[in-house]
Amino acid sequence: MTEIAPAAPKVETRLVYAHGLAAIVTLLISVAFGVMASIEMLVPEAGGNLPWLTWGRLRYDHTQGIMLGWLGNAFFAFLYHAVPLLTGRSITSARLGQWIFGLWNFAVVAPGWVLVLAGFSQPLEWAEFPLVIDAFVVLALVLVIVQFLPPFFSRGLEDLYVSSWYIIGGLVFTLLAYPMGNFVPELVPGARGAAFSGLWIHDAIGLFVTPLALAILYFVIPAATRRPIFSHFLSMLGFWLLFFLYPLNGTHHYIFSVIPMSAQMGAIAASTLLGLDVILVVANLLLSMRGAGLFPADIGLRFVATGTVFYLVVSIQGSVQAQMAINRQIHFSDWVIGHSHLAMLGFATFSAAGGLIHAWQRIPWARYSGPMLSLSYWLLLAGVVIMVSDLTVAGLVEGRLWQSAAPWMDSVRAAQPYWVIRTITFVPIAAGFLALLAGLVTGERAGGLRAVGDSVGHEPVAEIAPRLAPADL
Amino acid sequence: MKRALRMSYLVAGVAGLGFFAMSVLLLAVWPGRVLEEQVRRMSPGHPLGLTDSEGRGRRIYAREGCAYCHTQQIRYVASDVARFGGATLAWETIFDYPHLWGTRRIGPDLSREGATRSADWQLSHLYSPRSMVQGSVMPAFVWLFDGAPDRPKQEGLDLLAYVETLGRDRALAAPEGESRARAACDCSEDERRFAFGSAVLNASPALARRQGDHPRLAPSGDSTKGQQVYSRDCATCHGTRGEGDGPGAVGLHPHPANLAEHEYTLDRLSFALWNGVAGTGMPAWRDLPLADLAAAAAVVRGFHAPQPEPAIPEAVLAVGAKVYAARCAQCHGENGAGDGYAVSQFAVAPTNFRTQRPSLAVSLRAVRDGIEGTPMAPWSNELSEAELSAVAYYVRGFFEGQ
Repeated sequence: MTEIAPAAPKVETRLVYAHGLAAIVTLLISVAFGVMASIEMLVPEAGGNLPWLTWGRLRYDHTQGIMLGWLGNAFFAFLYHAVPLLTGRSITSARLGQWIFGLWNFAVVAPGWVLVLAGFSQPLEWAEFPLVIDAFVVLALVLVIVQFLPPFFSRGLEDLYVSSWYIIGGLVFTLLAYPMGNFVPELVPGARGAAFSGLWIHDAIGLFVTPLALAILYFVIPAATRRPIFSHFLSMLGFWLLFFLYPLNGTHHYIFSVIPMSAQMGAIAASTLLGLDVILVVANLLLSMRGAGLFPADIGLRFVATGTVFYLVVSIQGSVQAQMAINRQIHFSDWVIGHSHLAMLGFATFSAAGGLIHAWQRIPWARYSGPMLSLSYWLLLAGVVIMVSDLTVAGLVEGRLWQSAAPWMDSVRAAQPYWVIRTITFVPIAAGFLALLAGLVTGERAGGLRAVGDSVGHEPVAEIAPRLAPADL
Repeated sequence: MKRALRMSYLVAGVAGLGFFAMSVLLLAVWPGRVLEEQVRRMSPGHPLGLTDSEGRGRRIYAREGCAYCHTQQIRYVASDVARFGGATLAWETIFDYPHLWGTRRIGPDLSREGATRSADWQLSHLYSPRSMVQGSVMPAFVWLFDGAPDRPKQEGLDLLAYVETLGRDRALAAPEGESRARAACDCSEDERRFAFGSAVLNASPALARRQGDHPRLAPSGDSTKGQQVYSRDCATCHGTRGEGDGPGAVGLHPHPANLAEHEYTLDRLSFALWNGVAGTGMPAWRDLPLADLAAAAAVVRGFHAPQPEPAIPEAVLAVGAKVYAARCAQCHGENGAGDGYAVSQFAVAPTNFRTQRPSLAVSLRAVRDGIEGTPMAPWSNELSEAELSAVAYYVRGFFEGQ
């Protein structure tokens, strides 16, 4: 991390804190949407047959809340911590930060949820909030770029650390891809619109979630282990391959569709290569962590380490399920739901939580409870592993029945036990998220700084404290 | 050196944007042009598009997340085509703003759902899915109704209207549309086979047919299986004792048959189970194993308790025969086989009395009051009490048994 300037840039800890709390609150609400939807697959009348509690609307709010509410806020919290440290310069404006916070939470997430429940939405995956909300998302994304990118440019683009590349790339490409996924299919019908939708389904994860999650992994690992990344060359190779390959993946959501076969084949090839690229990226990250153990003592690092492993698993899985022989069997089934939970709840959530905890530890006035966060880690790990395994098997069972001549309802009946287990995993997952919240709002003030000092081989308090401007302490 | 570095990052930035632009061009814009060309070559002259009501229904379908459980995209794979019908062509989707392809199938694909089941069935199912399909996990869309499955609000009617359009354009264009599209299709042998090779455009095993072959079900002694199949798939409408009073019966017009009040030949049940009863809520069950159908048929036949038939005086039967010939034969046929000359006019086929015999009470009620939801009219204004009961006796005599 050669580019950390000697001068202490001001970290707007209050904005880290605000987005961090908003992230967890929106996360808990999104989980509530998800578990309610999963209960309705067991007891369809559980929502009292009220329109705003119907499965479809809850399903829309669940994923939009996770992507925009939880991950969006968590990424912004991390950026407020990381950008000043990466550039040695302050973010554009704390005042602008308040506007972004207000817009994101009170003009996008909250009204988006309400409008979907009230019946205003669009039936496009990862784009369910209605068009009026999309306009605010685009506005907020522009402001986010104004907030976070100028420090990189005023510092100069020479010898940028890989996290900086991911941040710049992620924010710029999200701004480009978002309108494509949200507006174009309303204007271009049917199969042609689906081609655009398919791109966005993968760009949402590939150009928004993954780059910012990787920015966290690449930042937290050297910061917490106090060792440089294993290979900057591999970092950059991984970055460019990722930005080359990710956008070319989208059509793999519509394999065996009427979309031209050559486009499908191209996307399958890109999906395959992407898995290879991720092996490279993850190898670099894991080699950078060697010696820290499978479950590092530093809890931020522990989340990040597990997020890295999930990233490898979910990406290899993605490459495999894009292959025609596999896709024929498992497409449309719960296997894919398992895959998306492995991506969003495994890789992205563990990375985002790790980044959030890492930033939180370094807010001198924030409360922090290590034991609570450790508990959160184990509960979430158990929850996500059980849920994803369960849904993967369910998908295989469903796919098998669909290949046979069995009546359709046989697949629904056969899936029921798996859906019960999926719903039960709500218990460790929700408890894990509550423990995450408790870990960040209970415990001692400055407990995080002390925890960092305690961890073997980590940045001592004396070194990091001057870089952080205490807000009002 | 510094300047060169700056330039290299500029190049990198342009390259990065280039990657994104390339992905959009290669995987969305170019395929879009290919699809557009395909639509131009393969679509029939005048696809219908959606009426206002159907368009509103489409928005309700979108709003309630229907596409997140029901795909509208039959893939170019054998299992999809076998289960749902001809693979989706590009031109079938040209009115979809935005598309509703979906990526998850909890319920079946609905690309060909229009005309698969009766409107009554669809409305009842929207209002109370588990009254129609045991084990379904579909939400009950009660807010589209006025408190009963047969009292849909405008929104319920709109949604039904939209569902009825699914697969309509392609079905209407057939068979000329199919052969033209097939000839114009610039596709591989596999693609051609999946898009046009299906014996029927709509492969739904529930699609009811007026005519068609059916397997001869063997008499079955497996009453355990019979009870299991009957209570799972039949009791929802026909009721646990076969009296036509299951939870799904409320919204169906005509009401589900009272199986206890009818005597059926095995052949009649075989036909109804295999082909459904067109024009009514009774779907076909071609996706069930024949052993299951045979076992269910045995349960149905078991509901009828044989009773000693009263001897009807010849004079009464003569009156019945006269009335029948004058009033009934044009639909039910001279010999009671349900094959009168007017048959083709009706959505619901007239009863074939040779293969099913109503109880005297049911026979009398039908001739007196008609049968709601069918062309069978009430005759109490036209015929005297004596004539009514005479013809009610008479039709029961056609039954051939077995």
